Amino acid sequence: MIAAMFRVMALSVIRDRGALALAFLLPPVIFLIFAAVFSGTGGGEIRLQIAIGNASQSAFSSRLEEALRNDGTLRVLPGVVTNREEMVRLIQSGRADAGLYIESGPDDMTSAPIRVLVDPGKMLAGAILAGQVQRVIARDLTDVLLARSATTVEQLTGGWSAEQTQRLAAALNEIQRGGGGAGDRAAALVTTEQVGSGEGASATISYYAGAIAMLFLLFSSMQGAATLIEERHAGILDRVAVGPAGTDVVVFGKFLFLTVQGMVQVALIFLAAAVFYDLEVTARPGALIAVTVVASASAAGLGLAVAAFCTSKQQAQTVSTFVVLVSSALGGSMVPRFMMPPWLQDIGWFTPNTWAVEAYYGILWRNDAMQELLPELSLLASLAAVGLVASLAVSRWRLSL
Amino acid sequence: MDNRSRPLSVEGLTVSYGQREVLSGLSVELDEGDIFGLMGPNGAGKTTLIRAICGRVEPRSGSLRVGGDTGKARLRHIGLAPQEIALYPYLTVRENLEVFGRLSGLSRQIVHKRLPWASNATRVADRLDERVGLLSSGWKRRVNIAAAILHSPKLLILDEPTVGVDIEVRSHLNDVILELSGSGMAVLLATHDLDQAETLCNRVGFLRSGRLAVQGAPTDLVREAFGGRKEIIIELRRPAGPQDLMLLKRIGFTPDPASRTWTLLRGDADHQVNHLGAALRKAGIDLREIRLREPGLDSLFRRVLHQGETTL
Repeated sequence: MIAAMFRVMALSVIRDRGALALAFLLPPVIFLIFAAVFSGTGGGEIRLQIAIGNASQSAFSSRLEEALRNDGTLRVLPGVVTNREEMVRLIQSGRADAGLYIESGPDDMTSAPIRVLVDPGKMLAGAILAGQVQRVIARDLTDVLLARSATTVEQLTGGWSAEQTQRLAAALNEIQRGGGGAGDRAAALVTTEQVGSGEGASATISYYAGAIAMLFLLFSSMQGAATLIEERHAGILDRVAVGPAGTDVVVFGKFLFLTVQGMVQVALIFLAAAVFYDLEVTARPGALIAVTVVASASAAGLGLAVAAFCTSKQQAQTVSTFVVLVSSALGGSMVPRFMMPPWLQDIGWFTPNTWAVEAYYGILWRNDAMQELLPELSLLASLAAVGLVASLAVSRWRLSL
Repeated sequence: MDNRSRPLSVEGLTVSYGQREVLSGLSVELDEGDIFGLMGPNGAGKTTLIRAICGRVEPRSGSLRVGGDTGKARLRHIGLAPQEIALYPYLTVRENLEVFGRLSGLSRQIVHKRLPWASNATRVADRLDERVGLLSSGWKRRVNIAAAILHSPKLLILDEPTVGVDIEVRSHLNDVILELSGSGMAVLLATHDLDQAETLCNRVGFLRSGRLAVQGAPTDLVREAFGGRKEIIIELRRPAGPQDLMLLKRIGFTPDPASRTWTLLRGDADHQVNHLGAALRKAGIDLREIRLREPGLDSLFRRVLHQGETTL
């Protein structure tokens, strides 16, 4: 009897091509996407996109720039910025994950000649870049490193006579003991600095508030939009179709509700961020509301389009789970996109999560002007419109079947 | 009544799905207060006719008027109660009626005015504040109709309104339909329930292969088809053997494929029934029952279906 039931289940799956594909094609596809996304988070495969700034215009800075451009572990933006403000803009706009600013030559012993500039929301990127720079210098600019060490030693010993050798040993002993003389030592070659104001925790919260908001907008919109399928099967759309507005009014009504529902959800997420993490959310209410409206509308449009195209609720559940997981993984809702391989970062631009995350981060952390948010706002609004029109058209078409 | 003012006027309607012609030159008219029973086997075209009237499929040829209007304007005269319970289960009866009233184009004020009438006509006024999901199927069926009549349509389409309900509920639904018909509403009743059609409909039509094979008042159709003849019905205790089959067919009995019942139509059935029973028993046929009855719609439609008669 158990075998008979097993046979029923097996035949049902085998004969339903959609279910067959979803049961056996989807798992490896999801695995491949997630493996690609998360394999980079270990650090080994992170290829940061960096900007180089050069204030010293020395032979050292040219050699270091060339060595970094030739090194395959980093993606260096073309050109060299000449002032720190421009580099900060590149980092805060998200065009560069971190920046390398060469302020002086290696003979500068008073301050670090190389500064790694990093957004507080991407502190890991700063640490990785600092390590990569030191590795490149140790490998390709060994003479610079030795000269700097010799200078340091010379400073410590005062010369290379026998007596000085003794003094060197004594000084090294003193350094080993943690005693005096530290103030005389040369500054570090590379140092890391945060750009912008505030603490790293706030930047991270700003990032994840937007990221999680979009993830849940998609989940709830997909679930809410699935009622369109229930209404189709229950005959409600048949009944409404003979009314003066036809089925369009059902789709419009759902779109409006899902958008408002999404705005309330986002408001609750930001409220929690404000209460528990002191995230400043009231500084720019107009921009925040604008992004929330288009983000909620885009999720509603996408959800309704999926529901309109799917023939059953089961199918819609599977498709929407796939869409939400993949879009959220690639769009940075689960892990920041700079930690992904470059090709996945490029694909991420095709997801609403990326646009929403960038827009929210722009408002809450980078303090972007409204004009700078226009690309993200336009893309989210376009997705909302395309989703809405598609669901209207498909719903009408289904009634004629 | 002029076609231009009839609740429903269909003339020469032809509908095709690709190469397959589903309705072929179908014509039917409904006057105010008519209850027209639309019957026929599965796939005969009942659903397609309803979809065409409701504007869901585009006819290849022919004309369709509802309340005198054509095109999209005709839709405002239609109230549709689908076969499914097309209601929101988490909403109360009142909320459902308000929603569907608004969706049928009525203002909020008019919905509130019409709601008592619709709920009284369908006898759901006592349950207005209960959630639909918690009602029994009989109540849901009545609310399903109430939601279709708030805008006082000239044509009410009921698609299998009694499917899956018990005799008592069916009786209540019949009362509701009669009451609505009494108010002047024309009712197009798509049903497989021949008893309901015979009880309720002043006219019936039997669809076969996209055409109305027969159409008219049930009593007229039956009288025309059978005259004064009556049916002798026998029921066997066990399936008929080969010899029994030959004998019954030679006498003129026709079998009901769904049971062990055989029917013989005779003009002199009153006199023959006793003799026939005795003769069949003598011939070794084990009868559970032999009875006499006047033919009804089921007899007519069985005959149309199985004998392929298009004119009677």
